[in-house]
Amino acid sequence: MLQIEHLSVWYDVTEVIRDVSLEVPSNSIVALMGGNGAGKSTILNTLSGLLQPRHGTITIDDIPMANFHPQDMVKAGVVQVPQGRFVWPGMSVQDNLLLGASIRSRKEKHAIRKDMDDVFQMFPILHERRKGLAANLSGGEQQMLAIGRALMARPRLLLMDEPSHGLSPLMVEKMVVAIRQLHERGLTILLVEQNVGVAAAVSEHAYILANGEIEFSAVGSTLADNPDILRSYLGGSRDDGSSMEPPSTGA
Amino acid sequence: MLAYLLMSGIATGALYAMMAIGLVLVYRSTGHINFSHGELFMFGGFIAYTFFVILGVPYFLSLILAVIGGFVLGILSDRAVYRPLIKAPPLTMVLATVGFSFFLKGIARYFWGSMEGGDYVAFPAAMDPSPIPIGSIMVFPQQLLILAGAIVFVVGFTIFFRMTRAGKMMQATSENPTAAYLSGIRVERVYTLTWGAGSAIAAAAAVLMAPMTLLSPDVGFQLLLKAFAATVLGGLGSMPGAIVGGLLVGILESLGGGYVHSGVQDVSAFIVIIIVLILRPAGIFGVRNIRDT
Repeated sequence: MLQIEHLSVWYDVTEVIRDVSLEVPSNSIVALMGGNGAGKSTILNTLSGLLQPRHGTITIDDIPMANFHPQDMVKAGVVQVPQGRFVWPGMSVQDNLLLGASIRSRKEKHAIRKDMDDVFQMFPILHERRKGLAANLSGGEQQMLAIGRALMARPRLLLMDEPSHGLSPLMVEKMVVAIRQLHERGLTILLVEQNVGVAAAVSEHAYILANGEIEFSAVGSTLADNPDILRSYLGGSRDDGSSMEPPSTGA
Repeated sequence: MLAYLLMSGIATGALYAMMAIGLVLVYRSTGHINFSHGELFMFGGFIAYTFFVILGVPYFLSLILAVIGGFVLGILSDRAVYRPLIKAPPLTMVLATVGFSFFLKGIARYFWGSMEGGDYVAFPAAMDPSPIPIGSIMVFPQQLLILAGAIVFVVGFTIFFRMTRAGKMMQATSENPTAAYLSGIRVERVYTLTWGAGSAIAAAAAVLMAPMTLLSPDVGFQLLLKAFAATVLGGLGSMPGAIVGGLLVGILESLGGGYVHSGVQDVSAFIVIIIVLILRPAGIFGVRNIRDT
């Protein structure tokens, strides 16, 4: 579904992504891991059209994407759930969701309404709070809203940037369940995650980034036991609070 | 006396509020103060003057045409000034909008500057100017028209923001442009619409105000100062603050001019603003770091 070849991204005079190549097959969950500043979010933002690559190609379903605008990527079915949720706090939950369908035609009114009902079915708390301001949701609920908003664009490839970041262990478990549900619905997911337990619980394959380069890749289920991860990605310690244990959701 | 001064202050304040709404609209969306906002106001007035006085088009039709003209001018200012400098530092944008204001003044002076033998042109009354009694006070019909017009535009804008998809996209973009990009919203188009809407409401304010005063290419700067004072008083970035701030500036001016001295009229509001900002630096409806939320 997604193929990145020899991708290079620069911030002014600094090359932050160096010759990165990776593949995300259809209907799979692929994790992108690495420490802070490794370049994970930069890759997602490049895929979303927020940054333009200097070299390399990005191909989606064999169609090369060049000089693309963020809206072109959403239209192509690539939608990001950004880190920090980025909901619109002064707007209602319902309006946040409706604006997630901005690229869709007004003629799809009934389909949009049905998709919103699907989001409410997946996250019932959002239905309860649909008329309230997004600012009044908890961190976990805002994460659900960010995912729901992305779903309203009917994505085929979902880019999730640290969905477990800053959430309580209970909410992290709920998030793992939600990611699995999205996968069962046929979505392809590229998951940026620092929580090794979450990545191991849901992903089939993982790429580990360091200093803007892919250091190595591994099968998802082996991540928690992989000594290379501890060495290269956590710098040999677990003092950042991230868990190496899969959340207790039957993984 | 008090009732008359209040009525006069509210009518003038309603105009300031309309101007302030345009300023806040652009500020919330782009993070920049549009220093050519006063000249967009002035230009709207001259567009209406052209239709109403020169071409003999009825007042209300001239008002609508000026609003459309103001909207188009706002879009042009986005394309000519804001869009090319979208990633430039804030100071560059300040200089660009100030420069654009001089450009607009130059064009206005070229076309309308010597129309009546000087810089000032008279905009005839839209209706019978004789004051009419309401209770114990005499009110000018144009003051009532200003109030009615301001209410229509403010309510219209509120409905636009709350009920329409375009209005919600504008709000979303002002709250978090990155999230707007990631949701597929054409953020650049939203900015264009914002500049257009801000300029359109300034044009409407100009046409409502014009019969009460004279039009000149320099009239915009005074109004910009008052509108800026209203936004600061209400809380920079707050839409309700712009309305309340505008009304307060208008009323304070009127009371200051009536009870203290006519020379105090133009400075009385600023004195109160200084006091308010010392006590409450974020303004009455203080919105802090609106673009960081």
